[in-house]
Amino acid sequence: MRLTRSLENLIEQLQKLPTIGPKTAQRLALHLLKAPEAQAKALAEAIVAARDTVRPCSQCGYLTETDPCIICRDPSRDKALLCIAEETSDVMAIERSGYRGHYYVINKEFKLMGDRSLEDLDFTPLLSKVSSGEVRELILALNPDIDGEVLSRYIASLTAPYPVRITRLAHGLPVGGDIEYTDEITLRKAIEGRKEI
Amino acid sequence: MRLNEIRLNQFRNLIQVKLRPQPGLNIFGGANAQGKTNLLEAVFVLATTTSFRSGKEANLINHQASRCTIEGIYNKQDRSIEARLSIDREKAKLFEINSKKAYRSHDDRLRVVLFTPDDLYLIKGSPVRRRQYLDFALSQISRPYAYELNNYLGLLKRRNDMLRKDQGKSRVFDITNELFVKSAAEVALSRIRYVHRLQETAIPIYERLTGGTERLQLRYALSFAVDSDTINLDILREHLLRIGHEKRTQEILRRNSLIGPHLDDLNIYVDDKLARLFASQGQQRNLAVGLKLAEIYCFAAISGYYPVFLLDEVLAELDQQRKILLLQELARAKYQSFLSSVETIPSLPPDVAWYTVQNGTITRKE
Ligand SMILES: [Zn+2]
Repeated sequence: MRLTRSLENLIEQLQKLPTIGPKTAQRLALHLLKAPEAQAKALAEAIVAARDTVRPCSQCGYLTETDPCIICRDPSRDKALLCIAEETSDVMAIERSGYRGHYYVINKEFKLMGDRSLEDLDFTPLLSKVSSGEVRELILALNPDIDGEVLSRYIASLTAPYPVRITRLAHGLPVGGDIEYTDEITLRKAIEGRKEI
Repeated sequence: MRLNEIRLNQFRNLIQVKLRPQPGLNIFGGANAQGKTNLLEAVFVLATTTSFRSGKEANLINHQASRCTIEGIYNKQDRSIEARLSIDREKAKLFEINSKKAYRSHDDRLRVVLFTPDDLYLIKGSPVRRRQYLDFALSQISRPYAYELNNYLGLLKRRNDMLRKDQGKSRVFDITNELFVKSAAEVALSRIRYVHRLQETAIPIYERLTGGTERLQLRYALSFAVDSDTINLDILREHLLRIGHEKRTQEILRRNSLIGPHLDDLNIYVDDKLARLFASQGQQRNLAVGLKLAEIYCFAAISGYYPVFLLDEVLAELDQQRKILLLQELARAKYQSFLSSVETIPSLPPDVAWYTVQNGTITRKE
């Protein structure tokens, strides 16, 4: 039996979302059809509205409705600290840590869609920030995977000509963890990243 | 390590199995397609969370069920450990050790050495098989190796992608290459050191298998020339960087990485002749048996305990004399083994547990 075209289309569109497989897509589509009409319409409108109003901040890349974003406009933040993050969701996590500097968001997933590679990322906005002399320290807060490692080194090489300190987040022991039960890879990283007390 | 109890639920045709194997040799007999290999496979899957047979993971679940579970209770030295793996058609598989969610590389997972008729191609087959043999053995012994190998394969893929997209001259490529070379040297050096120990272990075993008439030698064969008497990380890195640089034009042209341990090999020699080219059928079988036994003893020498040995239908591939030799070895070994065999065993050694597998049911014969 064939599904009607519009239902088929809805399932197909849902399936393009991350972590949504064919079965879940079908379940969601049927749910949306059975839900009150206002609820389904509200979802559709929310998607359109968010797409229309949310943009990367022209200064830092953080996804925002106002440009510059709320972080860039905050005068109490330390302009000398610039934290480089892969995604807006990472910024939200780092914000919870109490960090009070500024950010530079790469928006990697968004910019690397399709066949593009790290080399295609445009770091001119970052370099103009760094060359302005306002920034004293770049904090690389990229994921501890291959991409994050390559990007960290790439950014370090791009910014090497400027008088700016470059640091990266330490990999290591989880707070409240126990050395005896920590795996040897994490321990090795923790020893490499040890510091004086 | 000793598997004291295994419980299966909806695993292929083994709908409900509870088995308490004995410490030494456990033989599973019965006709084809009754579930002998499935039992060995279940033990392997519990240890590694993946199967050694090809096909979809969902095929491990009985076709009438939506989920299967494998549970095992085993000893690691003097500790008792309980592992549980459940595979669900809808959800991600869940692996637990002592009732806590665990990664597949958990230090307390079950360790196995697997021997199937496929391993008879280890000697004459493509280098991929010999690299897989080394990688499996090393990954079981060393978690840092498993991590580094995974890292290396990721970097290799990244490097190849960039060569394919004609970015071999970019800055990002140079950075990726630096990381690649660092990882490549780690992988190669670990393998070199392992092969060294493997050879020490394999020589006396092979002597025993051949009655002392043939001499075995194992050499890790790098895919690039190193002009140095000693080998260490710095020397490997330096060579990989230099030779990689020399091959760069060719790599860009061919759009593929032409250097690294993914191209290396394990060279096996019998009486100074390369087995890949010169070994007879009989020698190949002796070598395969010898390398598998060496994998077990090497594991024990490094880790301080034995893995569980799984032998799937290998007796049929051996002649009478080698069959008896192998069974004697298994019957008096310090490790536990599970052997499946469609044929009846000629002269059964004493103290062997013998089971019949019929249509998914396993019964112990007295
Ligand atoms: Zn901003």
